[in-house]
Amino acid sequence: MNAALPSRDARRAEALESFRERGMPHRRFEHWRYSDLRAILDAGQVAQSGTAAWHLEKAPEGVETFDLGKPDAPDWVMRNLGTIGARPTMKEASLAFADGGIALRVPRGRKIAEPARLQISSTGNVRVLLVLEEETSLTLLETHTGDAGLLRNVGVEIALASQAKLSHVRFAASALKSISVEHIGVTQARGAQYRAHFANFGSRLSRTELHILLQEEDAEAHLSGVNVLGDEGHADLTSHIEHVAGNTRSTQLFKKVAGGHSRAVYQGKITVREGANGSDSRQTAKALLLGGRAEADLKPELIIFADDVKCAHGAAVGDLDPESLFYLRSRGVPEAEARHMLVRAFLEDAVAEIENEELRAAIWQDVEHALPHAMRAAR
Amino acid sequence: MLEIKNLHVAVGGKEILKGLTLSIGEGEVHAIMGPNGSGKSTLSYVLAGREGYEITQGSISYRGGDLATMKTEDRAAKGVFLAMQYPVEIPGVTTLTFLKTALNAQRRARGDSELDAMSVLKLVRQRATALQVTEEMLKRALNVGFSGGEKKRLEILQMSLFEPKLAILDETDSGLDIDALKLVAEGVNALRAPERAMLVITHYQRLLNYIVPDRVHVLAGGRIVAEGGKELAHELEAKGYAHIVKEPA
Repeated sequence: MNAALPSRDARRAEALESFRERGMPHRRFEHWRYSDLRAILDAGQVAQSGTAAWHLEKAPEGVETFDLGKPDAPDWVMRNLGTIGARPTMKEASLAFADGGIALRVPRGRKIAEPARLQISSTGNVRVLLVLEEETSLTLLETHTGDAGLLRNVGVEIALASQAKLSHVRFAASALKSISVEHIGVTQARGAQYRAHFANFGSRLSRTELHILLQEEDAEAHLSGVNVLGDEGHADLTSHIEHVAGNTRSTQLFKKVAGGHSRAVYQGKITVREGANGSDSRQTAKALLLGGRAEADLKPELIIFADDVKCAHGAAVGDLDPESLFYLRSRGVPEAEARHMLVRAFLEDAVAEIENEELRAAIWQDVEHALPHAMRAAR
Repeated sequence: MLEIKNLHVAVGGKEILKGLTLSIGEGEVHAIMGPNGSGKSTLSYVLAGREGYEITQGSISYRGGDLATMKTEDRAAKGVFLAMQYPVEIPGVTTLTFLKTALNAQRRARGDSELDAMSVLKLVRQRATALQVTEEMLKRALNVGFSGGEKKRLEILQMSLFEPKLAILDETDSGLDIDALKLVAEGVNALRAPERAMLVITHYQRLLNYIVPDRVHVLAGGRIVAEGGKELAHELEAKGYAHIVKEPA
C-alpha cells in the first residue's frame, strides 16, 4: 500500500463534510434546474438509504475485481477512488454513505470480448470504479432493474489509460416511484475511446450526469441515448465534456420520446480549453412529444477558449411528421402501426450507435416494451 | 368504378374544388390537366384521404361505396393508390421494410395471409427489375437520398406490388428527364389492365405522349371546364390553357 495516499476512511469523511456543506441539489444549483431533487428528498433520507445491492454476473476472464466493501484495497483502487472527474454533492454522498461497490480493472494489453454485466437492484448508495490500463478494451452493461426504492445514488469513476477502449451501455428500466441519481466521471489519456449509450425509460426523478475529461490528444468520447417516457416519467441527462487537449473528438446523439405527463431533459455542455486546437465536437438532441402534456428541455451549450476548433450543435422538439404519417397510411399501414413505425424510425440512429449487436437488440426490445406507455393518450 | 358528383372541397376554410363531377369506368385511363392552382393536387389528396381536406358538398362513390367516409388506410386496402408528386423521405425505415409492412397491412385488411420476408423479397425483386429499382435502393432508408427519378420509380414499384384498382398519378412527370420519364411511363403502361382504372394528373401534355389516355378533362378554378379525347391534350399544348379556360363571367 502506498503510504502517501489518504485512507478510504479519510476520503469518505472528507466527502461527507463536502456533502453536508453543500446540501441537496435544487433548481438553482449545479444545473439541476429541471430536476429539483431537494423538493422531494432531504439529506437525511440520502444518508438513511444505506448501500445499494449490486451484482456482477461472473467477471469476464482477464478482468480483476475488488469489492469496495472489503478492507485492504489494492493500489489500483486507492490511486483512483474518489479522484476522477468533478465531485458534485450527490457524488460525494455516494462515497460517504456507500459501504460498498465494485471496482474492475483490465490489466495492460487485455482485450475482453465478453461484456461485463453489472446489475444494480436495490435502494441505496453505491460506487463503481473502472480502471482500463493501456491498450485494453471492455464492454460494460450496467443494468438498473425496476424498483429502486426511494433513492438509488450511484457514483461511477472511469479511468481510461492510453489506447483503452470502453463501450458502456447503461439501461434503466421504468421505475416511476423511485429516484435515481448517477454521476459518471471519466478521464481519458491519449487515444482512449469512451463509447456510451444511455437507455432510460423514466423514473419519478432520474438524473444521469457525465463529466468527461479528454486529457490527451486523440481521445474520443461518443455518447448516445434514448428515452421512451410515459405517465409521470422523468429522465434528465446532463453532460459536460471538456476538450482539455487538442485533436480530441466528441459526439453526442440523444433521442427522446415523451408521452403522458413525462419530462425529458438534455443539458450538454462542451468546454474547449485554451490551446485545445483541432478539437471536434458535435451534439444533437431531439425530442418527440406525443401529446400536449409531455415536456422536453434540451439545452446544448458551448464554451470555447481555443481558436481552431469545429463545434456543431443542434436541438429540436417536435411532433410526428403529418406528411410521413399520411404517406404510410396511404399505403395501407393502419394509423397506430404507422405512428409506431415513425417513432421507431426516430430512435433508430441513436440505438444504432450501440456497437454490440446483442445489446442493441436488447435495447430495441425494451423500447418496444416502453412504447405503448409513451404512446397512450395523456389523461 | 369512380363517380365524383358536384364535389366541393375546402382546405383551411378556403374552397378549392367547386363542384367537380367526374366518372371513370373499369380499365379506363383518364387524364386531368390544368394550370397551377386549379385544384389538381387537392383532388388527388381528397381521393387518397389526406387530413385537412374537407368535403363540404357532393359525393365520391368508389366501387359502390362511399369513399369519403373511409379511413385513409382502408382506401389503400380497397385498391386506391396515389403515386405522389413529392414522395416523403423517412429516415430510419428501410425501403424494403416499408414495402413489406405496407403489403402485409393491405393483405391483412383484405383477409389474406401475410407474406414472409423471403416471399416479399422475391416478389419485390421480380417487380423491381423492370423499373431499375436496385437492391441497394431497397436497403436504403425510404426515399432518403433518392434522386427525383428514383423516387418516382419507387412509387411505380409500389403500384406494381399493391396492384390497385384505382391508381392516381399526381404529376408523375415532374422533375424527370426524358429517359426517366419513358422508364416510368413504360412501368405504368405495363400495369394497364381491364380491371384497373387510372387517373393521370399532369400540367403538361408531355407525359400523355407516353401514357395515352382514353379521356382528357381540363380542371380550372376547381371545376372541369372541358372534356374530350386524347386530342384535347394536344390542343392544350398548342394553344395553352388560356384558350380553353375562360374567365368566369
